Amino acid sequence: MKELFLKDISNTFTVEENQKLFIDNFDGEKSFSVTVNSDVESQLSLLSLEGFSGNIDIKVNTNSRLEIFYADLAKNSSNVKVNISLDEGSGVVFHLASLTTGTSNKNFTISVDHNAKNSTSFVDNYGVVKENGKLIFDGVSYIKNGCVKSVTRQNAKIMVFDEKSIGIAKPILKIDENDIQASHGAVVGKISDEHLFYLMSRGLSEEKAKVLITYGYLKPIMNGFDESTQQKIEELIEGRM
Amino acid sequence: MSTLVIKDLYAEVEGKPILKGVNLTVNEGETVALLGPNGHGKSTLLNVLMGHPKYKVTKGEALFDGQNILEMTTDMRSKLGLFLGMQHPSEVPGVINSDFLRAAINEHSEKPISTYQFYKLLDNATKEVKMPFDLATRSLNEGFSGGEKKRNEILQLVLLNPKIAFLDEIDSGLDVDALQIVAEVINKLKEKGMGFLAISHYARLYDLINPTRAVVMINGRIVVDGGRDIISKIDMHGYEWIKTELGIEIAKEEKNMNTVSIGSCAVKENIK
Repeated sequence: MKELFLKDISNTFTVEENQKLFIDNFDGEKSFSVTVNSDVESQLSLLSLEGFSGNIDIKVNTNSRLEIFYADLAKNSSNVKVNISLDEGSGVVFHLASLTTGTSNKNFTISVDHNAKNSTSFVDNYGVVKENGKLIFDGVSYIKNGCVKSVTRQNAKIMVFDEKSIGIAKPILKIDENDIQASHGAVVGKISDEHLFYLMSRGLSEEKAKVLITYGYLKPIMNGFDESTQQKIEELIEGRM
Repeated sequence: MSTLVIKDLYAEVEGKPILKGVNLTVNEGETVALLGPNGHGKSTLLNVLMGHPKYKVTKGEALFDGQNILEMTTDMRSKLGLFLGMQHPSEVPGVINSDFLRAAINEHSEKPISTYQFYKLLDNATKEVKMPFDLATRSLNEGFSGGEKKRNEILQLVLLNPKIAFLDEIDSGLDVDALQIVAEVINKLKEKGMGFLAISHYARLYDLINPTRAVVMINGRIVVDGGRDIISKIDMHGYEWIKTELGIEIAKEEKNMNTVSIGSCAVKENIK
């Protein structure tokens, strides 16, 4: 697939052919829209290091696919609203990994509208909150009446590190059609004592064990980035833990 | 030669006393079979010695070469040369087995191991425990069968080469062939001088690894410390003879009501 590295994204962006889009400095305040034309396979990889806030409206046209990887490693607060609209036979996979530390307050609202039949959406939001951080995963997956054979899944997981860290996950389903598949799940909790004990019993310090577990936990996002960016993300996570 | 001396050890879990004055010595080069009925503290003892956070030591000490390990963090105990082969090894999603093994080896050596050295070591060790190499490249224990998990424990045992290893039912979940392989590896390590404190409910493992001693734990204490013949005696007659010969009343395993109700199925304390 053709790869395109963007410095920034224009207010309206159209994906006309099969391609992977990368934005490495996905920061600042901005709202924009992305349209994926019909019969196109596409990927959008976003790496945020400073913090992004704004609305992202995405429309996926008939029989097209879009896979989004959103790595948020910013120290600043952010407020992101993603609205994805699906046409007949189209599908979206959304992966979010957020590392929230310090006093930052982050709010991610990822919503999907199924507007036609045979549309699929998978939303996986993963987060780690430390110190006085606050992280909210929100969003509605909406299957409208008549959108038969549509499939939706929303998955939210937040690992909470410290006593004052706050994690909130609200995966909401709104279903107006019977002939569909829908599921959602949410887990908010601390790092498993059993996992820590296992790694430490092999000689890893608590810090090292936590880094490995956290990195493993945020790992699904890595598939969206090339090797050098993966290394950068890994170092950033290690540095922040 | 390293020695682990456990003195008058008391420990509890969630306020319930489990260990009630354990006295036991394990020397490097010795293989000690740890026997006893279910629920009498065998696994608890091994977990307490390794520092599992669930257990609270209320009294006593465990001296490894003179140092009280109970005051140390779990990773320090590992670095001193202790190892626990777990009964139910955790599945840790996303943590790649080989990354974890390499990090563990690095913690046990003065300078980091090179990639080439590591893969050579790993290749040899996986061959020794007859584990497919691709298991080393997968997420730690995730989706492993019971037998594969146990082999992975033995692989770590080989790679970390401790002075004394605690094995908690390392034979459960293993088929006959796998048990043979695991026993062979243990015997090789025994020859090199590694000490073992091993729990098993089956004489078969003990037949294969020939313990030098056998100890029996009842009501949270070691009540019998003797030769290998104890194993066959228990295998044939169970634990009743202890009651008649030593006059010890064997407490029945308590089974509390399950506190999880249907209403709490979506609530998890830990993220798995």
